[in-house]
Amino acid sequence: MKWGFINFFRNGVVSVATVLVISLSIFMIGGVIVGSSFVSAVISSLEEKIDISAVFQDTADEQAILFLKAELEKLPEVSSVKYTSAEEALAIFRERHKDDPVVLESLKILEENPLFSSLEIKAKNPSQYESISKFLESGRYDNILGVDANGQKKITYRQNQFIIDKLSFILSTSRKIGFSVSLILALIALMVAYSTVRLAIYNSKDEISVMQLVGASRAFIRGPFLVEGVMHGVIATVFTSAALYPAFWLIGRKTSALFGEFNIFEYFISNIFQIFFILLFSGVLLGTLSAYIAIKRYLKV
Amino acid sequence: MIYFDKVSKIYSPTSIALEDVSFNIAPNEFVSIVGQSGAGKSTLLKLLLAEDRPTSGKVFFESNDVHAIPKHELPALRRRIGAVFQDYRLLPHKTAYENIAFALEAAGKEEEDIKSDVPQVLELVGLVDKAWHFPHELSGGEKQRVAIARAIVSRPDVVIADEPTGNLDPLNTWDIIHLLEKINDLGTTVMLATHDKEIINSLKRRVVTLEKGRVVRDEQRGRYVL
Repeated sequence: MKWGFINFFRNGVVSVATVLVISLSIFMIGGVIVGSSFVSAVISSLEEKIDISAVFQDTADEQAILFLKAELEKLPEVSSVKYTSAEEALAIFRERHKDDPVVLESLKILEENPLFSSLEIKAKNPSQYESISKFLESGRYDNILGVDANGQKKITYRQNQFIIDKLSFILSTSRKIGFSVSLILALIALMVAYSTVRLAIYNSKDEISVMQLVGASRAFIRGPFLVEGVMHGVIATVFTSAALYPAFWLIGRKTSALFGEFNIFEYFISNIFQIFFILLFSGVLLGTLSAYIAIKRYLKV
Repeated sequence: MIYFDKVSKIYSPTSIALEDVSFNIAPNEFVSIVGQSGAGKSTLLKLLLAEDRPTSGKVFFESNDVHAIPKHELPALRRRIGAVFQDYRLLPHKTAYENIAFALEAAGKEEEDIKSDVPQVLELVGLVDKAWHFPHELSGGEKQRVAIARAIVSRPDVVIADEPTGNLDPLNTWDIIHLLEKINDLGTTVMLATHDKEIINSLKRRVVTLEKGRVVRDEQRGRYVL
C-alpha cells in the first residue's frame, strides 16, 4: 500500500503521462456517455412531438367520436389519444390569442364556433403512424371525419407524411450511429490507456524480475502497481470532471440555438454525480485492470 | 545440502551451457565455481534459483527438487537463497535501506524486525552512513555491498554470488570477498562463481572448475588452473 504511493511520486513523469492518457480516455467515455444520452433525450422529445390529429365534421356526433377514440386506444401501436371538443378548441384558441384584438374581434363577428372537434393521436413509435393513418382512412369513419376543400380527409398525417417519415428515419439512424460511434470511441480509449500503462510497467520489468529473485510473491509485487493504478484512475477522474465542466458549458452555449429548450450543460449539471461515479468507476477500472493485465506478462521468472 | 544431479542445459545444439554436471555442496561450505566466460557458471546458479529450467537432470535444495516446486511456493525457496549478481540488480527507485528492507517485507516480516535487522546488516557491510542514498548515488563497490546486505538480511541458508566482483576495482573486490568469507564464517553456505584467478588462489577453499559446460576438476583447497 505504502509503496504504491511512494512509487507514484518517484515515477513522476511516467505517472503524469499515465494519468493524462487515462484522463483522455475517460474524458472520451464521459463525453460519449453524456453526448449520447443527451442526444437520445433530444430524440425522445422530438418523437414526443410527432403526432397526428384527425379533425371531424362540425356535425359529427360526440358519441361517435368518443367511440372512435376508444377503438383507437385498442390499437397496439397507439400510446395515447386525446380528444379536444370544438368548445375546448375554441377556448384554447382564445387563450392563445388573448393579446390579439383583431382575432378576438373576428371571432365575435363569426358568432358561431369556427373550430372543429379533433383527436390527437400519439404512436409508441414514429414508424407506426402510417398504419394508424390507414386505420382512420379505412372508410368506416368517413361519416364523421372532416374533409377539406380538395376532398382530402383532414388527417394531419397525410399532410405531414413526408416530414414524419423523414424524421423517424433520421431519428432511428442517428440512434444507431450514435451507439456504434460511442462503442468504437470507448474501445479506442481503452486500448490507448492499456498500452500506456503497459509501457509504464514495461519500464519496471527488470525490477519485477529482481523482486521475484529476492523472494517476493506475485501478490506482493503486484500490490503497489495496483495501488498506483487506482491512484491514476482517481486523479484522472478528478482531472476529467474538471475538464468536462467548461467543455460542456461551451458546447451548451454554442448549441443552445440548435436544440432549443435542451441544453447539454444543464443536462450535465443535473446528472453530475451520476456522471462522476461512472467516470470514477471506469477510471479506476481502467487503471487497475490495465496494470493487472500488464504486470501478469512480466511475472514470469 | 545442494545437489546437482546430472544436470544439462542445452539452449540449442550449438549452444550447450551445461552437460551432465553432478556435484554436492555440504552445509557451511564455501565453494567457488570457476571457469571462463560461457563455461556455464551463471547458468548453474540460475538453475538453483529456479530462474531457468534444466533440459535434463535435477537440482536439489535439501531434499526438494527445485524444479518440481509449484510456482507459488518458489518465493519461499528464494528467501532461503540470497543472491548477489555482477550487475547488482538493486531496485533503482528505492534507497539502500529500502532495497534491503524489501527482502524482509517480501518475506512478510514485521515492521519492528525490519527496523532492527536492516541497520545490523548495514553495519556489517559498512554502509550505515549511506543508508538513504539511492543506487545511482552509490559507487560500484557500495552497490555490491548493498546487494550483499539484501542477500543476507533474511538469514538465508545459502548465498550465491555470480561474478560479484566483475565490475569492481581490486580494492573493492577484496572488500566483497572478505565480506563473503565473513558471511561464511557466520554459518552460511556460499557459492561463488568467478573467473578471477587471484581470488581463487588466495581463498584456498573448494573449487569446482567448469569447462564448456562440464565439471573438469573438483578440489578441496583448490587453485585456479585452466
